[in-house]
Amino acid sequence: MNISKIRNVMQEEGIVFSFSGMISQSLTEFMIETASEQFDKDGYDAKITKSMFLIAIEQLQNVMSYSKQKHIDKNEYTSPGVLVVGFDKDKQKYYVNSSNEIIESDKEKVSTKIDFINTMDNQEQRKYLRAKLRSADDKHDRGAGVGFIEMAKRSSEKLEYDFEEIDGKLFFHILAYV
Amino acid sequence: MENLKLEKTNYIPEFDLNAQTGVLSIRGKSYPENTFEVYKPINEWIKSYLKDTSNEKTVVYLELTYLNSSSLKAYFDIFDLFEEATKDGKVIEISWIYESEDDIIEETGEDFIEDFESLKIKLVPQN
Repeated sequence: MNISKIRNVMQEEGIVFSFSGMISQSLTEFMIETASEQFDKDGYDAKITKSMFLIAIEQLQNVMSYSKQKHIDKNEYTSPGVLVVGFDKDKQKYYVNSSNEIIESDKEKVSTKIDFINTMDNQEQRKYLRAKLRSADDKHDRGAGVGFIEMAKRSSEKLEYDFEEIDGKLFFHILAYV
Repeated sequence: MENLKLEKTNYIPEFDLNAQTGVLSIRGKSYPENTFEVYKPINEWIKSYLKDTSNEKTVVYLELTYLNSSSLKAYFDIFDLFEEATKDGKVIEISWIYESEDDIIEETGEDFIEDFESLKIKLVPQN
């Protein structure tokens, strides 16, 4: 274990909040209650901070609901995953990035959804989200199925994503810039 | 009809729904993971209140500072109930309360106004 190596990587990548392990509602709560309030105290732009944490909430709750290794205990969902929130020095923008193992059959569904959302600008995404919220087309037992639209609406760039096979497992990565 | 009062948590708002006075207040952050379970009793309470009430008017205060996408869905569903009741002749006044600096919540209120044209929704900025 080399903690200073990890710290250096975190500094290079501008990481301000990161987590690797079981993603849960308690983690989401911790992030909002401590990390986001710290940002407010440190005088960061309130709108950027809020957009960033709204994107992070959607990413975390997506990991909880859609992960292949989802655990359900006392009706609480938890799943292993990684979340990284940081500041990209080249772009001068905050980013929210997450990774989790997904079910192979979800791959096409997810990419079709994101590709379509990426064809729209923010105003179109805002309208599209409202239409979806009224129609309940994509509603499932845990959510409205609109998490990617909400992420895209809060992002200044297209959502970036990819799938990576590691040791026979399929991982989904998504990256949003505020 | 029984009133409904629920204390808030870090991610579930406080609900204070009073059938006698016709004042319905919801205040706090809303980003639960099991949103539909949380909002099911709320939705049902509002539905039966609107059906039974003889109050001259119903006043709704919504002061929500964080909303995840599934909570947005829950509020769209609640606004649907308000819209239906309005068509049936009920008078409903909704105040969408937000911190004046909070563009995100202000924008959400504007979305509700645009989507529910028949409802009286007032944006109420606060300092």
